[in-house]
Amino acid sequence: MKKYLNKNYALLGKTPPKDERFTKVARALFFNPIGHYILFGVLCYVVAYLATNKIIPDLIPYSLQSSLAISFSFAIASIGFCLLMGYSGLASLGTGGFIGIGSYSVHYVMYQAELPLPVAIVAALLVAALIGVVVGFISLRIEGIYLVILTLGLSEILRNVYMVVEDKIKVKNFELFGTLIKKQHSLYIVATLLVVVMIITHNIINSPTGRAMLAMKNSTAAAQAMGISLIKYRLLAFVICTMYAALSGVMIMITIRSIQASNASGYYALITSLNILAAVIIGGFKSIWGAVFGSFVMYGMQTAILQDIPFFAENPEFITFISGALVIIVVMFFPGGLAQLILELKAKVKVWYKKIKEGIYGKDLG
Amino acid sequence: MARILAKKNSLTQKNIIKLRKHLDFYREELASLEGKYDEKLDKKLNEFLIKGNRKIAKLAFEACNKEQYAEAEFEAKLQKYDVRSYMKQRKLNHGIAKKIFKKASKGEPFGYLLVSRDKKMRALDKKRAKYIERLEKQKARFLEKNSLTFVVPYNRKKAALENEYFALKAKLEAEYTAKLYKEKSKIQDKIIKNEKKLSKAKHKIKATHTLPDDVLLEVKGLKMYFGGLKAVDDLSFNVKKGEIFGLIGPNGAGKTTVFNCITRFYNATGGDMYFENKYGEVVDLRSFKVHDIILQGIGRTFQNIELVKEVSVMENLLVASTRSYKTGFWGHVFATPSLKKEDKMLRAKAMRILRFMGLESYAGWYAMGLPYGILKKVEIARALMADAKLIIMDEPAAGLNDSETAELTETIRKIRDEFGVTILLVEHDMGLVMNVCDTVCAISFGQMLGIGTTEEIQKNEAVQEAYLGVSEEE
Repeated sequence: MKKYLNKNYALLGKTPPKDERFTKVARALFFNPIGHYILFGVLCYVVAYLATNKIIPDLIPYSLQSSLAISFSFAIASIGFCLLMGYSGLASLGTGGFIGIGSYSVHYVMYQAELPLPVAIVAALLVAALIGVVVGFISLRIEGIYLVILTLGLSEILRNVYMVVEDKIKVKNFELFGTLIKKQHSLYIVATLLVVVMIITHNIINSPTGRAMLAMKNSTAAAQAMGISLIKYRLLAFVICTMYAALSGVMIMITIRSIQASNASGYYALITSLNILAAVIIGGFKSIWGAVFGSFVMYGMQTAILQDIPFFAENPEFITFISGALVIIVVMFFPGGLAQLILELKAKVKVWYKKIKEGIYGKDLG
Repeated sequence: MARILAKKNSLTQKNIIKLRKHLDFYREELASLEGKYDEKLDKKLNEFLIKGNRKIAKLAFEACNKEQYAEAEFEAKLQKYDVRSYMKQRKLNHGIAKKIFKKASKGEPFGYLLVSRDKKMRALDKKRAKYIERLEKQKARFLEKNSLTFVVPYNRKKAALENEYFALKAKLEAEYTAKLYKEKSKIQDKIIKNEKKLSKAKHKIKATHTLPDDVLLEVKGLKMYFGGLKAVDDLSFNVKKGEIFGLIGPNGAGKTTVFNCITRFYNATGGDMYFENKYGEVVDLRSFKVHDIILQGIGRTFQNIELVKEVSVMENLLVASTRSYKTGFWGHVFATPSLKKEDKMLRAKAMRILRFMGLESYAGWYAMGLPYGILKKVEIARALMADAKLIIMDEPAAGLNDSETAELTETIRKIRDEFGVTILLVEHDMGLVMNVCDTVCAISFGQMLGIGTTEEIQKNEAVQEAYLGVSEEE
């Protein structure tokens, strides 16, 4: 019967309809980057649900859930840094200070003024945008290593301001849309916001704005000749980066609940900026998934995986060696990060597949 | 005075830029509407046909094989008959053989037995021939009869399907033309509205300068000093519409400085530059910023290729049309349908340009690994993508081999003829300049040595001294 149908199509000069094995929803979810982000969010929800409700005991340890929450909070800042460094070609070491903006707005808005979370997020974003504009204007005059030093200085100034204003900040359990959010529920919020940030970033990267940023990174002269205003896109890049960092600060505050600003190896210090730089280097400068994975390596791997290995449990100081070694290996062998490694693997698998096919069916058919 | 007026009108200028962007978009949209519903119509009709054909496919199957079926039945019946007649013959032969054996053992004559056997055999043959006749009649009747039961319903259903098809086609066509007309008129309304606004805005800006009809760019007394160094000193020339204008000179003569002054990378110390932009107005180039120059219709290519290496050739072209997107930043963030629409339109335009340049097959390639000659062409395509009226090329033949240079020469002529662009180029390759340029301007140490056709320049003594004389000795 099928033969006759195909013959009919051939007689009509038409091709048979496309293979429609999948429904529209399945195609949108499995064959679309945005669908992948949403699936990732759903997976996070499942992990959070299983870890907090203990339906199957010992399947997912509580430590994994909390480490995921922390690393995904930092992943938001990493994605912003990706956009700044990988796409706009601007460098910054001020992420630690910018993260503080979010945390302090949570402290003041939610703990002291007792307003809901969305207000805190909006406040954080507004302040961050203001600071981003300032840094963006600076970046018009200064470039390269000097910009790095300047942002580092700005970050330290911000940290000192935090220390003077209020050294210890905290936040209580709060209600969101009628449900009480405890510390162990934070992964839900973090995952939601991370997915939103991923989708927005993906859209920006694939839009004229993303292309303009890339053009600006490659050559400022060519970009200007093509009608791209440096002021606009540098400001935009810094504003987006600081906004994401502030959002990440909000999420960190919700997951950790109390932070001390004067801690030299704390969350607002230089170490955070460096860690995020390392995360982006490990993951790949131009990859959203890379940024998320890199921040998991930097912040989540220790509590989630390495603590269970006896050697690292006895000598916790060796844990930092792993991330350091990873950075060195990645920079030496995969300058594009782990995203590049995966792309290369994909290409190799394709070649192998083709070879196997040729081995079976012969060269002409394969 | 001109500059003050321009500054005063900068707000109106911005408004004009915005209005023009909208107008360009609407015009492009109007053009892209032409074949919008053809695909949809085709798809729907195709779907209809496939569905209908699926329904009558079984009938078609039987109708197609009717004759084969009758033939097979005929053969089968005949075979059956032959088997039966063979058994009869065997029986007959067997019986006669027995009788002959009996007669022969008694010593009686048996010849008549053989004669009667032959008679019976002949009768059997006759019977077979009759049977075949009967079978053929049966077959004919079967075919006749089946044409009534199978083929006619198939034909009838097929005719009905065709009728339905034509009815649907007419209906859909009417529907789509109505829709198209509605959309078109909507866009035309928008265009008229915007044009009115634009003409109002234009009235506010007074023309400060006029150019002769055939002149596109006028450079008057251009001065560019870097501290004490006079890179360009009092240079004046006119570039005519549709010509290929070459700027030559020894190293350090200030050619690239002139370019950078025209494209506003450098803020000229003195002098005026007037340009008839792509909307046919004369503008003072000094009143624009670097990144606004392209909106007036001046595109440029670079000496060392300045493409974005980590995206495809197609996206490199789209970089040039960043300013022609009507959708704002929030549209980009949420990937709105209007952005997708614009993207589709601009991609089609980019594909048209790539096809013209013969780069169609490279559209999806990354710019990173492509050969130098192709990248040069991509840069020219990028300038065309921004609807440039004047393309400024900085040493287009640098780094190309002879065959690539010859190809480039042809490309330059081709884009001049096809797109009506004017080309202003700086070049060291004298072969290319003398081959392709209509007018050549020779400068040395920021001052003009001579201007004219290639022959005039070749004969010019000052130029020979400064430039060509040296190369002759080599």
